[in-house]
Amino acid sequence: MSQSTPPNCEPNSASTLQEQPGVLVVGKHHFLVRWSHWLNLPILLGLILSGISIYWASPIYQHKPDPNTGNVDVAADIGIWICAHVPGQHHYSSPPDWIYNHMSLGPGMLALALRLHWSCAYLFMLNGIVYVAGLVMGGAWRSLLPRRTDLLDALRMFRYYLGFPLAKLARRQWLHPRFNTKYNALQRAAYFSVSVAGFVSVATGWSIHKPMQLHWLAELFGGYNAARVWHFWLMWVYFLFVVPHVILVFADGWDTLRSMIVGWSTRAARSEVIAK
Amino acid sequence: MNNEEKERHTFDGMEPVVKSVSVKKPQSFFGERPLTAIEMAPRVLRYQSRRDFLVFGAGALAALAGAGFVLPQQTLSRMGMPRNMDSPGKEWFLNKALRIDDDVAEALYSGTRRVPTYTKSQITSLKNNYNGATPDPSYISGWNLTLSGLASGLSISLDIRNLLTRFSVHEQITRLVCVEGWSGIAWWAGLKFDDLLRAYPPMSQAKWARVESSVNLDASGNPDPYFMSLDLATARHPQTLLATHVNGQPLTVDHGAPLRLLVPVKLGLKNVKAITSITYVAEEPRDYWAERGYSRYDGI
Repeated sequence: MSQSTPPNCEPNSASTLQEQPGVLVVGKHHFLVRWSHWLNLPILLGLILSGISIYWASPIYQHKPDPNTGNVDVAADIGIWICAHVPGQHHYSSPPDWIYNHMSLGPGMLALALRLHWSCAYLFMLNGIVYVAGLVMGGAWRSLLPRRTDLLDALRMFRYYLGFPLAKLARRQWLHPRFNTKYNALQRAAYFSVSVAGFVSVATGWSIHKPMQLHWLAELFGGYNAARVWHFWLMWVYFLFVVPHVILVFADGWDTLRSMIVGWSTRAARSEVIAK
Repeated sequence: MNNEEKERHTFDGMEPVVKSVSVKKPQSFFGERPLTAIEMAPRVLRYQSRRDFLVFGAGALAALAGAGFVLPQQTLSRMGMPRNMDSPGKEWFLNKALRIDDDVAEALYSGTRRVPTYTKSQITSLKNNYNGATPDPSYISGWNLTLSGLASGLSISLDIRNLLTRFSVHEQITRLVCVEGWSGIAWWAGLKFDDLLRAYPPMSQAKWARVESSVNLDASGNPDPYFMSLDLATARHPQTLLATHVNGQPLTVDHGAPLRLLVPVKLGLKNVKAITSITYVAEEPRDYWAERGYSRYDGI
């Protein structure tokens, strides 16, 4: 996967100090981008855990009170269903709280959740500024901009990902589409839209946090109640992004993961066949 | 990397380890630049990698410690952390975040910016969100509003008839937003808090009002006075009412008969029901929900 020492690497003026030939590397990520990338992990986790605890206080998806339990919350229904049908959960002590006990700080801790949500939200905004600063200083923002050919190229990548496991099973060659850009169109779409999602999360967050002083912002999202729905579903965008993101990083290999820590990659030539 | 690009590289005598191999002229400002390949000595690369991995590893450990530091004990116990991680530092940190957020809210507040108003067709139901038991209506017959901390140095007691005859009634259809996230639009009527402040001016050094309901009950029905701090800047907001009517009818016990605070620029928890006293003070007074871990300014 990595071509560490190009054969035609000529000795340079400093080579008298080195016993080994040099390694050809490309700088991929500015250090501010790397730091803000990893900081997103604990911050988003904190935001989601506290966010679902806040959701518990007044769920946006409710139905008429259940005649038996008095329950109105759809998330509680899902918990009840999980406890009834998922093996190992039959003896769970409080089925309506299952979702909140597994996906949030817990039910009934609104004050704590709000304090944690504000802490993480301010850190998230600061981190976003650091990320953008890193993109600008490293010039990497240009690699994230969508371009005209992206739709077709994204479809080609999608076709590649869909066919890859089948080709592996059939032991057939399945060539990675060639791009001579830093990211392929699907990556670019994902990284670009998750940044936009971060920005819209912050905007919807402010619009429901300050619906009177910033009422114009809430109106932009269709009013206070609609902005809450936006804010809730934007959380799922992160799940939708993170799951394939992590799978693909591991599938792509050590060089890609390492580059987000050290900043450089030994994949100096961009258009290479990944699957052989 | 093709040979043509390779040949274009320039040696830099000042940089013994790093040299530029491929530099392409960018096409446009928004056009993607090719990644610049550089040749590094493996020794330097190893040293830098080791350094970066150590620093990022330390960062990951710090994040884990930070999570243990700020997460509530209940959550940590559920995740299998047996030790009690509560510390004064945790409270300090989380309260600090609240104070910063309060300062932001105060900076966003404008005494002239009005909150959105709605039409009668947009009125929604409004739930009785009394935290404890709803008081028995028997308190209404002997109800009085006590004002203290006034410029006159006197303490004044007003009944509902005094209030309704002395002051002009204002109406507004506004949204009440609860800290829990739900909200309700209702048609409120009552006197402006500002008019009360003009008729009975507070002492000159007063910056705060302590608004109290002594008829408030806890969940088991025992007396649990509800007290709340309100900055006078917000009290003077043109849409801050001492409401007597909702949706064209006198307030019911559920909604704080006979007089409640309606301050739409604050969270619902500042909208005290069945107010019995207002005291003007110089220093920020205690606040029922701030003492229970919520913010104290609550501007929205």
